[in-house]
Amino acid sequence: MGAFIVRRMLQMLLVLFVISLFTFVVMRAVPGGPFSSEKSLPPRTLAQLEAKYNLDEPLVMQYIHYIGDIAIPHITENRLENSVLNDYLINIYIPVVDRTFRWMNFGPSYKSVSQTVNSIIKDTLPVSATLGIGALLVALVIGVPAGIIAALNRNSRWDYIAMGVSIVGVSIPVIVLGPVLRYVFGVQLKWLPPTGWGGIEHIIMPAFALGFAESARLARLTRASLLQVLNEDYIRTARAKGLAERVVVGLHALKNAMLPVVTTIGPLFAFLITGSFVAELVFGIPGLGKFFVTSITNRDYPVIMGTTLLLGFLVIVANLIVDVVYVWLDPRIKYD
Amino acid sequence: MKRRTLQYSRFLALLLVFALMVGVVSAQGDRKVLVDAGNAVGASDVPTLDPSLATDTSSIQVLIETNPGLTRINEVTLETEPSMATWTVSDDGLVYTFSIMPEVPWVKYNAETDAVEQVLDENGNVRYVTAEDFAYGIRRSIGGQLGSYYGGIMASWVVNGDAVYAGELPVEELGVEVLDTYTLQITASKPAAFLSTIFGMWQAYAQPAWVIEEYGDFWYEPESFQGYGPFTLKEWIHGESITIIKNPFWPGTENIPVPALDEVKMMVLEASAALANFEAGAADVSIVPLSDIDRIQADPVLSEAYYVGPGSCTYIYGINTAKPPLDDARVRQALSMSINRQALIDNVTKGGQQPAFFFARPSLAAAPHQEDYPEYVLGEDVEVARELLQSYLDERGITLDQMEPITLAHNESEGHARIAQAIQQMWTEALGITVEIQTQEWAVYLETIKSDDAPQVFRYGWCLDYPDAHNFLFDVFDSQVRELGINWNNEDAAEFDSLVEQAMVEPDMQTRTDLYAQAENLLTNKDAAIIPIYYYTSLNLTQPWVQRTHSQFGQEYFEKWDIDLSARP
Repeated sequence: MGAFIVRRMLQMLLVLFVISLFTFVVMRAVPGGPFSSEKSLPPRTLAQLEAKYNLDEPLVMQYIHYIGDIAIPHITENRLENSVLNDYLINIYIPVVDRTFRWMNFGPSYKSVSQTVNSIIKDTLPVSATLGIGALLVALVIGVPAGIIAALNRNSRWDYIAMGVSIVGVSIPVIVLGPVLRYVFGVQLKWLPPTGWGGIEHIIMPAFALGFAESARLARLTRASLLQVLNEDYIRTARAKGLAERVVVGLHALKNAMLPVVTTIGPLFAFLITGSFVAELVFGIPGLGKFFVTSITNRDYPVIMGTTLLLGFLVIVANLIVDVVYVWLDPRIKYD
Repeated sequence: MKRRTLQYSRFLALLLVFALMVGVVSAQGDRKVLVDAGNAVGASDVPTLDPSLATDTSSIQVLIETNPGLTRINEVTLETEPSMATWTVSDDGLVYTFSIMPEVPWVKYNAETDAVEQVLDENGNVRYVTAEDFAYGIRRSIGGQLGSYYGGIMASWVVNGDAVYAGELPVEELGVEVLDTYTLQITASKPAAFLSTIFGMWQAYAQPAWVIEEYGDFWYEPESFQGYGPFTLKEWIHGESITIIKNPFWPGTENIPVPALDEVKMMVLEASAALANFEAGAADVSIVPLSDIDRIQADPVLSEAYYVGPGSCTYIYGINTAKPPLDDARVRQALSMSINRQALIDNVTKGGQQPAFFFARPSLAAAPHQEDYPEYVLGEDVEVARELLQSYLDERGITLDQMEPITLAHNESEGHARIAQAIQQMWTEALGITVEIQTQEWAVYLETIKSDDAPQVFRYGWCLDYPDAHNFLFDVFDSQVRELGINWNNEDAAEFDSLVEQAMVEPDMQTRTDLYAQAENLLTNKDAAIIPIYYYTSLNLTQPWVQRTHSQFGQEYFEKWDIDLSARP
């Protein structure tokens, strides 16, 4: 198992490298640049900015510098110049030589001039992660029980209700559900603040708006998977040896039926905690999600790279965790 | 597994009930805290609070309150008036001497004591804003090699500015001189009617050298920010809000009074989210989402709060005059004349915009008003438009079907798309021509329209930097600086250049206006190299308990606002 995890981590580095190269090439191939606007910068101003951000170098050198700043650790003075160009994620003081070990500088933001990719992610990822976990809880708490109820009462009224609601859930996007919730609970009833971030009252509406559609997907998946498992031979065996229905379903069927659900939850979790552009705009949440979109329209190259690599990293880690959970759910699965 | 899920759900249900019971009540006490939803800073984080680097309306909105310039623009009359200084100009119009208001202290918000404090120097004395601080700000913007856009704009107007900006001369050579503690002298490289405005813009604000040296790129974050204006920076939650707090040490002047408000919280919100806050009573001022204008006008409460005033931009269609059939002025005139601008405004844009036939907004200094120069206005007349097109076709000996197809391009946006579709239909109905609409993503689009191979017709907008017709007619269309791919290079274009260059240095206002009117005539009427469509309006909603002024140029002066706490629910 340990060897498996190590091997997967090494593969991850390779995948992230490929993602970074691909993203870099694609984003630089698109016309327009970070300093394009209605009022074009005069060439002399543009030249100063390009020199500041090393954009005047050949593309290959820019990429090598970018990867170098992230991958290669630096041993530096303890106090660096206060510059957006040298904001490192990891700073460890080494007493013996009285210097500082620094690693992983993802670069500055061209748009928010006093911000760096590291500072943006440090500010916004906790916000998005909190909301994402809330949304995942909503999805699980509604979706999985609804799927189980539907499967156990197949073709009954409960099944139709649960699946009917889930069709509605899948069909209503956040951009519709969000403003409706905001209007009903924020503007009309005034039970919750219409927008903002800070307290538990700010999480409820966006978490529900984001989680509801996912809960519908999970409900359908759980139902389908559980129905399939309930027809398996080992369930018949369990019933034949006289086990209580509660044990048959709860212990034997459900655990196996969770395999496809867990497979979905892994990447879903990675996507949810990196934020949602729509939910953040609708509910005025200072999260990471909007940077995935705005960094591209702004051609904010380091932020595009940073957000893409972060999402890539999280998806890979989530999938790794899913693979580990498989072993617990299904003893037949073995990694050597 | 199942039992755990149940426990979780019970816990979450309890949590939900609890949160719903708590609800939201924001207690402000008797402090006057104004909450602005999306109107002051828009829907994305304020990019910077460095006066040398600011280029956008939201950064400038904050700076205009925390670091007033030597001069500033009156938000209602758009005239340039004394701010931190009064000034005199030498007879040749080149030497500007500014007398700075004495003993205005630098201040800083202290989060621990929740109070604004005066900044002390290393000897424990109060630091006052001096001519040296303004000189430092100007030298940093022009000579700091920061890639400062407005530093570059100002550089062209100060002696040795261009060479200092390019790094060819040391910054000491710049025509900015500190005569004494409170007297600053700026020597212009050429005279112009609007220099007192340019020298009052943000790139020339006083900057705290001692803070910038210590904190580098991060000096304007709330932990270290220092200002001196009627407000100073209190809190900046990136992407969520920025809050300014009243500076109790601001002495108050005729133009910049002591604020009545204690704080202004500017929330970063998309328009419909802002409106939701306004309707819930959680915001005092809000931006207006275009999709809700009909509902707002019909609603008895919201319509009372609704305000439509002049904006700061002009919406136009540029024409690539090198591409047939638009290489003939008659076709361009026909297109311009067959747009029903008022119908477009009433049915499509809906924000009370004003039909435009000239490019420069009428509110700008020296800008000609189209109703004062009827002979220069192309106007709207479908019959004449048809005749013009027909005479063009006859001259070429072709029919309408043989004429080259016309492409109309705009950047991706629902609003631009609706306008383009309406105009496409107007052209088809009036002239029988077919027009193909093309859209591009913003950054790609900018490259497209700034190349010589620009589409035949393309959407463009321009907003003022400073309220003078020069900022529109010279800065966009003079061939020295022109970027738009309108390929307008004939004799009229040369005459246009000479007119706007003459108007730049002409001291008499009426003569300047006449010169700009002649220039507009060439650009929009005789050659119709562009089709002006409308002048933007600024829309907002204000709660009845707020007393305010309405700015005509994009930023608000909150020190002139007040809240009637007794009327606020």
